[in-house]
Amino acid sequence: MLRASTQINGEDVDLTAVTKGGQVDSGVEAGGVLVGFAEAVMTGSESDVAAARETLRSRLGDAATVDAASVIANFERMVRIADGTGIPLDAPLAMITADMQKEIGTDQFPSAVNTPKLNGVHAIIGRVMARTLPLAFKFFRAVRR
Amino acid sequence: MTAFSFEASPVEVRANLQASFRDTWAWVAQPGNWWRADQRVEIAAEVRNATSCSLCKERKEALSPSMVQGEHDRVGSELPAVAVDAVHRLVTDATRLSKGWLEKSNADGLSNELYIELLGVTVCVYSIDRFHWAMGLPVEPLPSPTAGEPSGYRPASAKCDVAWVPMIPADKATGEEADLWDGAKSANVIRAMSLVPDCVRQLKKLSTTMYLPMHQVPDVTAPIDKAMSRAQMELVAGRVSAMNECFY
Repeated sequence: MLRASTQINGEDVDLTAVTKGGQVDSGVEAGGVLVGFAEAVMTGSESDVAAARETLRSRLGDAATVDAASVIANFERMVRIADGTGIPLDAPLAMITADMQKEIGTDQFPSAVNTPKLNGVHAIIGRVMARTLPLAFKFFRAVRR
Repeated sequence: MTAFSFEASPVEVRANLQASFRDTWAWVAQPGNWWRADQRVEIAAEVRNATSCSLCKERKEALSPSMVQGEHDRVGSELPAVAVDAVHRLVTDATRLSKGWLEKSNADGLSNELYIELLGVTVCVYSIDRFHWAMGLPVEPLPSPTAGEPSGYRPASAKCDVAWVPMIPADKATGEEADLWDGAKSANVIRAMSLVPDCVRQLKKLSTTMYLPMHQVPDVTAPIDKAMSRAQMELVAGRVSAMNECFY
């Protein structure tokens, strides 16, 4: 979703920011303070969270701070649903994201075993889809406008 | 005092978040399909208790959670031990849950129906508490349980396919379940709790206010009514998922 949401704007994003966190500049506007807030909420102390929250407030404002907190809390829920039920990644997504998962290292997570490995044909189809998807997104956005 | 008033918050919290949190508290306080209301509120209490449980701390540090046996620190007496174990693991070590663990829990008396409803209550309460933590706010007192018995409702179309638990097939959300997702297809993460349809309904309500309406999630071209861009939201979502080591 991060890749798709930036590709439609022609933005260049470093997806390894997802796994490497604050060590990497994602290329997303204010990405550093957003990642810093997420990391503080996940592993920091109360004072760490307060400091990261104030940094975010001063950069993006109150409403975005509430939005960021709610997105963090939302995904604390969604990951537990996925991990608690053993669902695989949906087949089209698994095909499209296979190379990216390897690149950023998420294919090494324990729950990756719940998603079957792609066969050769599906891997090729996935690569083609991954390359054409940005064009499709741009088309749909143009139609919407 | 009104629940989720957010009077202590230095930052204004959106009214739709407040409303969905109140709705979730009312849902937790009701009898479910498989648990009584008092048991559901006890599940919520265990969500809060799990993070200070000494057994969970020891397990988290172990190479494998199965290497550490013992009893969890618990707050009530209405839940069987296997249910307390499930709540604590979901909160503190979800990435290392396995099909084998769930099958053992089934054998110990936690049916898939009981487990999915427990999961639904656990993740909703945990998520709301995490919002409070992120905003530096005290957690909301748990609701008082209402009277009544579980309905025992199970959707007839639920069956085993790609998950550890039975789910309603993507093209079979019809009749009583027609409102669960739009169209003939649904992402696995929406179907995951469909063995207890009300858990999917509550998930949709919370996700709509905390993230995006479900139908908008795959459509990155759709306009959103948030103070963050879609890319900013997805960066935060991706980082949280990665830190939880969630492949999905």
